[in-house]
Parts: sequence; C-alpha cells; structure tokens
Amino acid sequence: MLTLPRVHVGQMIGLLEVLEDFKGRVDVAKVADDLILELDDLLPAVEAAELLGFLKVESGDLILTEEGRQFLAKGASSRKKFLNEHVMKLSGFKAIVDFLKSHKNHEVTREELLEFLRKEMSDEDAESAIPWIVEWGRYSLILHYDSNNGRLKVLRTPK
Amino acid sequence: MHQVIELKRVTKAFGSLDRPTVALEDINMSVHEREFVGVVGPSGCGKSTLLRLIIGLTEPTDGEVYYRGRRVQGICEGMAMVFQTFALFPWLTVAENVELGIHGKQFSKDERRTRVLKILELMGLHGFEDAYPRELSGGMKQRVGLARALISDPEVLLMDEPFSSLDPLTATHLREEVLDLWLDPKVAPEAVIMVTHNVEEAVYMADRVIVLTSRPGRIARDIQLIMPRPRDPRSNEIYRLVDEITGIIA
Repeated sequence: MLTLPRVHVGQMIGLLEVLEDFKGRVDVAKVADDLILELDDLLPAVEAAELLGFLKVESGDLILTEEGRQFLAKGASSRKKFLNEHVMKLSGFKAIVDFLKSHKNHEVTREELLEFLRKEMSDEDAESAIPWIVEWGRYSLILHYDSNNGRLKVLRTPK
Repeated sequence: MHQVIELKRVTKAFGSLDRPTVALEDINMSVHEREFVGVVGPSGCGKSTLLRLIIGLTEPTDGEVYYRGRRVQGICEGMAMVFQTFALFPWLTVAENVELGIHGKQFSKDERRTRVLKILELMGLHGFEDAYPRELSGGMKQRVGLARALISDPEVLLMDEPFSSLDPLTATHLREEVLDLWLDPKVAPEAVIMVTHNVEEAVYMADRVIVLTSRPGRIARDIQLIMPRPRDPRSNEIYRLVDEITGIIA
C-alpha cells in the first residue's frame, strides 16, 4: 500500500504548532474543539504528521515527537530541507521518485504517473493523490511540476 | 518613537450628499515605528475603509491622513497591502504575481530576479515559482500575497483580514509565519496595521488594538498590549482581553 500525506503542508504545520501551544501533548478532541473543527477534518493532518514521525497518537492524545520539535524550531527554508529528508523516507514517496527516476531525464507525464499509481490504489485514490504528490513534492523540493505540459520531474537533492 | 502614520479627524462618507452613509467618523489615531496595530470591530464598521484611506486608495470626506508628516494624496509608495481574498492574477505564475509588487519600480532585470527569488525563499515559496494560483492551497496563495507586498520593502504593511478565508490550521500556521517576519529586523516593515474581525487573532498578534464601534465606525478603545512574545494564545491574560474587547463590540 502506497501511503501519502493527504493534507496541505500548511495544515500539518498548523497542527504541530497548536500541539506546541499545548506543551506537546493534548487530547485530539480538545484540539478539534479549540479550533472549532470536526474530528474528521483534523485527521488528515494528524495522519500526515504521524507518517512523517512528527507526532505520535497515544490513547486519544497527540504527542509532539522530538523530530516534530526540531522541525518547528527551524525557519521556512530550513524546514523545506528537513521535510525533504523526511518525505523521501516515506515508502510511498520513494516509490514515486524511483518510478520517475526509471525514466529518461527523471521525468514522466501526469498520465504516466496516474497509470503507475493505479496499480497501487483505486482509480479514484490515484486521481486524488496527484495534487498531494505535487504539493508535497514542490514544497519539499523533491519534484518539479509544470502544469503547462503536465510533466513531473525529480529535482536534485538540495545541498 | 517616531510617528509613521497619523489620522486627524478623519471622516469617510459614501453615497449622495443629501443622504450619505457615514462609514468612519472622527477618527484620530497614529501608528509609530515598530508597532503592530490590530483594528477590530463589528462587520460594516469601516475597518477596510480605514486601510484604504491610509494607503491612499480613497480620500477622506473630512480630515487628513499623514504618512511621515506628509499628507497622503494618491496611492502611497511606502506601503503595501495584503487582501483577504489574496487578489492574485490567475494567468500569472507565482513568481510573476510576486514581481507585480515592484511593477513600475526602477530596477534592472537582474535586480528584479534577485528580489523575486529572495522573497520567494523567505516566504517558503521556493519550489512553487512557476505554479499558478489555481494549483495552490489557500495558505500558499496568501504567502504569495505576502511576498508580493513585501518585495518592495514597504515601510508599512497593511493587512485586510489576511487569515479570514483560511481554515483554522492553515491560519494558525500563517499567523506564526507573519509573527516570525515581524520579529526579524532584517525583513520586518516599520509598522503593520492588521484589520480583523477575529478579536483573539488581534490580541494574540498585535502590540496595540484599536476597537471600532459599528457604523459609523468610531474609535471606542485604543488598548496597549504589554505582553512578551512569544505569547500563549490560550493564556488567561489573552482570554481576559478577548472578553473585554468582545464586550465593547457586542
């Protein structure tokens, strides 16, 4: 199963910041209550942060991890680099990058990526995954996407 | 502290002369260097009009607006504005939208490019240079709005409900980013004026909160917030101030 973050990067960071305000540990229902959000609206951010190792869920509590704290302590551009490393550790993202790298110029079209994803998930999930891959790929400087020609390319790792 | 902006007996009315709608009445206020001012009030109290008067997008019906001691007449060069709805051009890329912030300024092509890249990096937009607004989340769109405002190194940054169209998580995050900018002497403008209907947001972020009454908007209170940063948005002191201000507005 190819697991990917399915939330905006800024929403996940927002959740981590709220968690920090609550001294690093808080009941998930309290966060939802505090932000006037449904629990369901909070879950994608929780899942993404958990996937990246920035928080842990323990008996209904969200707990900020050391990695999460380190991430928050950084400025905008250092966060990108930090995220670059962490996103590349996700098996789902790694599989996508490997797929791109198996092509000339490390580049595929949106359709080629869609076809690849369909082997791993339902058609619907594959279609909806692409904007998330593009957003996280762009934010963490892993991928370049040109919406004019629909081509997705692997960027060189930032120094 | 040096005064950056001063409003003297400013009144703004719209509509016909015989039946005018008074949006703002007898506004006297000033904003100083290194001040982050929040303006709150009920909807329709003329908060947005206040910002438009300050930047010179509209003229007062009565009274005067001064910027650095000079009367504001026409759009003011040293200020930039961020809008609730981002106000981006959908057919332009992120980099092109940001470059609009220095449109008409005398910079060489290289200087433009350098400025655009620098501000994109600062705003965490590196990687999104050639994306179009439709490909961006609301939070990213507002980062573009901020980058476009800040690229000209404005002395005064005006923000009109900058976080109001964002979901709560994104808004939380972007508020922190704006505060980080404000606390960074290398990039911070001399003054920020933020209009918001969200009292908690104003109390959490600002050094001073100006409370307007409902139409016609008049200054009901001008409250200096002496609280160290970073602040805890859930502290008793913030709750107390929010209650106090909400009581004035309601």
